[in-house]
Amino acid sequence: MMSSALLAIQSTNPIALTPNELWVINTFFYVIAAVGIVAALKMVTTKNVVHAALYLLVVLTVVAATYIVLGAEFAAATQVMVYIGAVMVLLLFGVMLTRAKIGDDGDLDYDSKWIGGLSAVSMFAVMGYSLWEAFGTDELPADMAVQRTGQVANSIFSQYIVPFEALSMLLLAALIGAVVVARRD
Amino acid sequence: MFLNQFLFFAAILFSIGVYGVLTRKNGVLVLMSIELILNAVNINLVAFGALHQDISGQVFVLFVIAVAAAEVGVGLAIVLLIFRNRRSINVAEADLLKG
Amino acid sequence: MMSLFAQVPVSTPEIQWFYLAPILILALGGVLLITLTSVAPVMRGRHISALFTVATGVLALAFLPFIAARLDGLVDPVAGQGGRPAVDLVSSALVVDHFTLWVSGLISVAVILVAVMLDGYLEREGFESPEWYALLLISASGGVILASAEDLIVTFLGLEILSIAVYVLAALHLRRSESQEAGFKYFILGALSSAIFLYGIAMVYGATGSTTLTGVAGSMTGRNAAGLSPAVDSSLVMVGIALMLIGFGFKVSAFPLHIWTPDVYQGSPTPIVGFMTSAVKVAAFGGMMRVFLVGFGGTFASDWRVLVLFMAGFTILFGSFLAIVQTNIKRTMAFSSIAHAGFMLVGLYAAASPVAIGDTGKRAVLFYLLAYTFMSIGTFAVISIVGKKGDGNHSIEAYRGLAKREPLLAMAFTVLLFGQVGAPFTAGFFAKFRVIAAAAQVERTEAYILAGVAMLGAAVGAYLYLRVVVAMFLDVQESPSTEMADSADETLALVEVRALEVPPATLAVVLLAAVVTLVLGIFPDIGSGALAEAALALVR
Repeated sequence: MMSSALLAIQSTNPIALTPNELWVINTFFYVIAAVGIVAALKMVTTKNVVHAALYLLVVLTVVAATYIVLGAEFAAATQVMVYIGAVMVLLLFGVMLTRAKIGDDGDLDYDSKWIGGLSAVSMFAVMGYSLWEAFGTDELPADMAVQRTGQVANSIFSQYIVPFEALSMLLLAALIGAVVVARRD
Repeated sequence: MFLNQFLFFAAILFSIGVYGVLTRKNGVLVLMSIELILNAVNINLVAFGALHQDISGQVFVLFVIAVAAAEVGVGLAIVLLIFRNRRSINVAEADLLKG
Repeated sequence: MMSLFAQVPVSTPEIQWFYLAPILILALGGVLLITLTSVAPVMRGRHISALFTVATGVLALAFLPFIAARLDGLVDPVAGQGGRPAVDLVSSALVVDHFTLWVSGLISVAVILVAVMLDGYLEREGFESPEWYALLLISASGGVILASAEDLIVTFLGLEILSIAVYVLAALHLRRSESQEAGFKYFILGALSSAIFLYGIAMVYGATGSTTLTGVAGSMTGRNAAGLSPAVDSSLVMVGIALMLIGFGFKVSAFPLHIWTPDVYQGSPTPIVGFMTSAVKVAAFGGMMRVFLVGFGGTFASDWRVLVLFMAGFTILFGSFLAIVQTNIKRTMAFSSIAHAGFMLVGLYAAASPVAIGDTGKRAVLFYLLAYTFMSIGTFAVISIVGKKGDGNHSIEAYRGLAKREPLLAMAFTVLLFGQVGAPFTAGFFAKFRVIAAAAQVERTEAYILAGVAMLGAAVGAYLYLRVVVAMFLDVQESPSTEMADSADETLALVEVRALEVPPATLAVVLLAAVVTLVLGIFPDIGSGALAEAALALVR
């Protein structure tokens, strides 16, 4: 099934990291992950809508960096272009067009936050437990191959051609929908 | 690199996103929280793709990013529609529908 | 540069277009409709979009027998270890078997009937928009993709195509704030549920190392695909399955994810609600059955079917009991549709059992979907007519005296409501009976309890439907006209009472639905061959 070209590309890039390099990358990840978590917490608690959007920007950047750490370069590039480039602009437009208050807005949250907090904590507990059960301290393969853009392209246009085409229908539906809903009568 | 360091990072982002969806009243902020959840999913997919040495994780991420963009487009259109008619995008004020 | 050109060409998968016909027709129909209406103003005339949509639906429907014949003629069925005819398409992204055909058929029928009643609705409300129909067609194509998906990526995309179009359709009555609010609520909760669904897919992918259903099923029986030890990955898979159940449960409005249903049904344009209760529910159940029975059907079936059991029981109870206290017909029918989803989940619970009972369960769910598609579309067609201009006349009081004013409509509505009750000689009877019988066949204590709960729910539900029937045969209250002293107001009030436009096409939909309800109730074995084939196709 897999074409020989695909396998050829795959075999050309085994990257064996030295322990030192690995340590640097790992430390880098822990630092950005901490930044990301703090930014995400700020995003859901801040009283300022524009600040929330900017905190989301930080989280999205951290996620893009995480993709790089994991060797998914094309996903990282797409994350930067689509999320940080397009979705963020869209969200900021949304913030502006709905006349968000400049400065703090006291009326952004429900008064009782315990339901949200409880659900979030219990979901994390269940997920954390099962993840720890399943993988514990399993390491990612040390010679983790960087998944090249060429491979992504090849598999999108061979194995995943149906989802790719389905996606175009989805975008069409969203396009028609957004235009119809947003236009004035 | 532990696999779980990525998965736990994703799980934390997911939980924060769920918290955001459940506590925020402002429509745009709810949309942002949903984006947070989708990003958590994407980290999972990339990490599992790296674990299984399988390209489909990364390919799946691309599809999810595209779907997320489409969702934000439609979502904001609906939010703006509501705002135009009511001058507010407060979810708690959406109470026309009840028995 | 040379190395770029020297690359060996990628082997692209072979595409058997013929089997893809239903998806392609529905999707391209939508694209063509929106293109033609933008290019040629002639196409924007009244009724043309509706006719086009109906023709598209009929064309999709017409292909199904031929695909079925070709499937049966296959010498060597590609997929399906049970020897059932099935074709894996485009490197195992989609699978076409008799189950796909059954679901595609129901979705096409729903598109046709909804398009017909939408025509009358849009004319009355003064909208002249082909977008409604284009979104309807695209959404339907997403539904077929969802039900035939063999890869979880495709499942997710199908679900999203189905949903995004319907979010918009729910908000599309741009002059009613209720409609916008419904679309907003549906969108927020729907987006959340599909994000959670996606998290479930990610977990399953992580635990099994595969996104295809056969791959998932295979690694669960072997449980060693990615070198994971058997005991280790099971909790992760269960979390994944539970999260995916949340996603599907939202789409079929099962407890505790049903909360959106009454609000969204009340606010959305009535024909669109008909589409939600028929096509969306059929597609969601189709996808759910394929994913859960084929993908997770092996080792984990005994685990997740307990979740389905609780979901089914509570869904029926909540739907039936809360429907009683409603005064708005659309909210009543929303709770009734929740209860119906509960009955179908009972069938799914039975379907998760080993072979023989499992087949009974699958057949029961598929028959239920057939019956409910017609009954719910017919019901919402009546509600759409009675809703009057503005789509706001939905109190149960509005049905007083309907039997006198519109005898034919009231008769048909009575049949449809009796069908939903599950009265004998209607399709609803056999739908409920078969589901409960299948659950009883499981022969476990909890299954008997579930069957008992289902019967209780059916009995309680009878009250709410009969309330509407009784209202129809009561006289109109005299109070409004006596209160109004002014004679001008009085005539206005009289006009108000009489002016019930009944578009002939919508009436035809109601009558057709009522006739099908009766015919299926008297000859419940019509199409049982196709039904059995469809049920058997899900054995892997």
